[in-house]
Amino acid sequence: MIKESLIAEFEKIMGKENVLTSKEALRAYSYDGTTNWVREPDVVVFPTTASEVAAVVKIANAERIPVTPRGGGTNLSGGSVPWLGGIVLCMTKMDKILKIDKENLSATVEPGVVLQDLTLRLAKEGLFFPPDPQSFLGATMGGIISENAGGPACVKYGVTKQYVLGIEVVLASGDIVSLGGRTLKNVVGYDLLHIFISAEGTLGVITKAELKLNPIPPAKKTIVVVYDDVAKAGEGVFRVLENGVVPDKIELIDNWVINRIEEMMPIGLPKEADAVLLFEADGVPEAVEKEAEKIVEITKKYGATDVKIAKDADEANKYWLARKAGFAAVFGKAKTVLAEDVTVPRGRIPDLIRKCKELAKKYDVEVTVLGHAGDGNLHPSILTDVGNKEHYARAMKAMDGIIEGAVELGGVLSGEHGIGLEKQKFFNKVTDPVVVDMMKGVKALLDPGNIMNPGKIWN
Amino acid sequence: MGDIKELKQVEQYANQCMKCGFCSFFCPVYQEERVETSVARGKNYLAKLIIKGEQGFTPEMAEIIGKCLLCKRCAANCPAKTQIDRVVVAARADMVREKGLGFIKGFVFRKAMANRSAMGRYARLMQTFQWLLPKTAGNVRHLPDFIKSMGRRNFPELSRTFLRDRVKSVYSPSGKPQMKVGFFMGCAIDFVYPDLGFKIIDFLVRRGVEVVVPKEQNCCGAAVYFSGDFETGRRLAEANIKAFHDVDYIVSACGTCSSTLKDYQKYLPDNDDMQKRYSAFGEKVKDATEFVIDVLKVDPSTLKLKREFEGKTVTWHDPCHLVRYQNIKDQPRAILKGFKGITYAEMPNADLCCGMGGSFSVYHYDLTKKIAAKKMDGIRATGADIVVTACPGCMINLIDNILHNGMPQKVHHLLELAE
Repeated sequence: MIKESLIAEFEKIMGKENVLTSKEALRAYSYDGTTNWVREPDVVVFPTTASEVAAVVKIANAERIPVTPRGGGTNLSGGSVPWLGGIVLCMTKMDKILKIDKENLSATVEPGVVLQDLTLRLAKEGLFFPPDPQSFLGATMGGIISENAGGPACVKYGVTKQYVLGIEVVLASGDIVSLGGRTLKNVVGYDLLHIFISAEGTLGVITKAELKLNPIPPAKKTIVVVYDDVAKAGEGVFRVLENGVVPDKIELIDNWVINRIEEMMPIGLPKEADAVLLFEADGVPEAVEKEAEKIVEITKKYGATDVKIAKDADEANKYWLARKAGFAAVFGKAKTVLAEDVTVPRGRIPDLIRKCKELAKKYDVEVTVLGHAGDGNLHPSILTDVGNKEHYARAMKAMDGIIEGAVELGGVLSGEHGIGLEKQKFFNKVTDPVVVDMMKGVKALLDPGNIMNPGKIWN
Repeated sequence: MGDIKELKQVEQYANQCMKCGFCSFFCPVYQEERVETSVARGKNYLAKLIIKGEQGFTPEMAEIIGKCLLCKRCAANCPAKTQIDRVVVAARADMVREKGLGFIKGFVFRKAMANRSAMGRYARLMQTFQWLLPKTAGNVRHLPDFIKSMGRRNFPELSRTFLRDRVKSVYSPSGKPQMKVGFFMGCAIDFVYPDLGFKIIDFLVRRGVEVVVPKEQNCCGAAVYFSGDFETGRRLAEANIKAFHDVDYIVSACGTCSSTLKDYQKYLPDNDDMQKRYSAFGEKVKDATEFVIDVLKVDPSTLKLKREFEGKTVTWHDPCHLVRYQNIKDQPRAILKGFKGITYAEMPNADLCCGMGGSFSVYHYDLTKKIAAKKMDGIRATGADIVVTACPGCMINLIDNILHNGMPQKVHHLLELAE
């Protein structure tokens, strides 16, 4: 419990309306986008300036109170759950887009800006922020940077860290520092900026960010490719890329998900197909035309049973809407869904898919696969019920197998969701102890009191 | 922990939420407050705790459950198809049963009425309408709410005589009627826009419809049962079903009324018999916009525009109770586009809630104004002279906010445009 006097201090700093202590409010800040990680904070505060953040953090540091930064709370790792109680530092009221610089192709934003709001605003200027985590309707920029989020468009455009030029950060000491800058190139000493990207809020609180933008490509085309074997679809991914075409998205939907989508919103995906790959090519119209033809040619050559280019934007949107509904389809069909985001080098996708199928059989559980095949980031999901102990135990074993399998194939534990609480139990297993110690050393240097989002990443 | 009969019934919807948080983007209240208790995900999570017996109906809970427009934007955009609006209404119903209506209303009301000048206007209005209350208090329990909300607004003047006092009970077409329609007045058309009522009756009669206006009809019950008072809601439902027992269709020109009548079967049934009767009744209910296009099959291009609207630019506001509760969005646009002599301009955020939310705006008037400000931006962007809609509740709020913002637009019901 936090002392009453501290609550009063917070109220003085941020105003009464920005300090919540009712049981109901604390409960509403006890979760994120995951299923099972729940813990109530002692207080939720809503700073509106970096100096308010600094004032709160300073007090927390002096009193050794845990501080969990939080934005939209859409993350899938337990990362914004206040695992040791204390303060939830909710950044949602710092939600201004401060500047859009067309000459420099950059934008300055506060951490509470929701990605979709940014996207809509940038579109008016003909610009976009390429990383596209599928939680864009609720995810805030501070969280997106802290988790180094990615999405489908990462095949061509990369992930968040490639689009952050600089940040303003409040350290555990209460100091406000700027890292990076506004330029594309910057080699002035250690690249400390990137230590904060994907630090999951354990090193400091981002209070401002300078983002790199791209002009919106003038043309897009969607290609639907059908396979009678999901592993062949996995091969289709790297065959297209190795033949010189870099689509902006390559998404995979397996048979089980296709059928759930068709039940929810029939759009004519082939129900008997073992898998479908959705490609999107973007760029100047002539190039997109050529790339689409090339995708058709290559995928046909490597085992596709049917290929179709969407005739217009409406048809294309239908397929992408279906892909978006994929996760809802999975989550709607089971009490508990263990959704992973293991990532393997692209060439090993077929192996990973085979591994998933093997494990599904071995442990007699439903494993569905959909995800960003283009970058090797799959989301195998296991359908189970946390209330059914026996089934859940089998599901967990299958999940362990998938993660071990991915690592054996040269992959990683998490491609875009982060470690948080959800993947802690695997983190130490797959990470070199020396590397873990280095991380802990960095943490100890920047946050000696261990107040910044404690209890996350490592056990 | 108290009896949570209604929440139990919608537990399946509450459990569908996978906490993705997408609703935050669509919730007008969250967009203003940026606090988790405002948004569907937060409300749903707390409702689940109530079902589990871990959370009680505290005053804070009353405020959280009360602070929802029931605009249904969250539900309409939910990837898991969680019907959170059902959960919110059920929570209100259980809370009202356990604590009484005054609890949920009273707590927030004390805050809302802190403004002395508003209080004064409210008192004056109450005085003016005292004569009305004994007559209707038993029937129209939400009337005090209605009047309270007027006390603080730029409200269109109340009609000197109400529709109920002037309307006949039967209007017959010349020739053999093709069908018999019961006209459901609704409070706003009755008290504020009686001429609109006559106009619609006339519109239907001229197209060969026999229109009856049963005197026994009551308030639709929206403000009552959406506030959680299911008991009164059922009484109103029974009264209306009885009043309209011998018609082919029941038509209302108020989007909220038509959706409320249709949805008795969703919220109110307590047993199979009720379920059957409420469903049968609901099937006969049509919103006027829907009735004109889908049932009468009026060709919009044959509609004659009233002179005063010639040359005007017109935009359409989708009432929540039409676009999301009844999926009515094409019919009104078809009617508008059919009129020759006006220019139609689509509003960029046409389906955004105006912020009224029935009694929401009584208790959270400041929020209503903030939400309406976004609607005003949309209206400005169209350059329209006239904002058209088909829900008197929205009309009242749009007029209020257009005036607040010093804008020139006039607000009209869709069918007012027809000659």
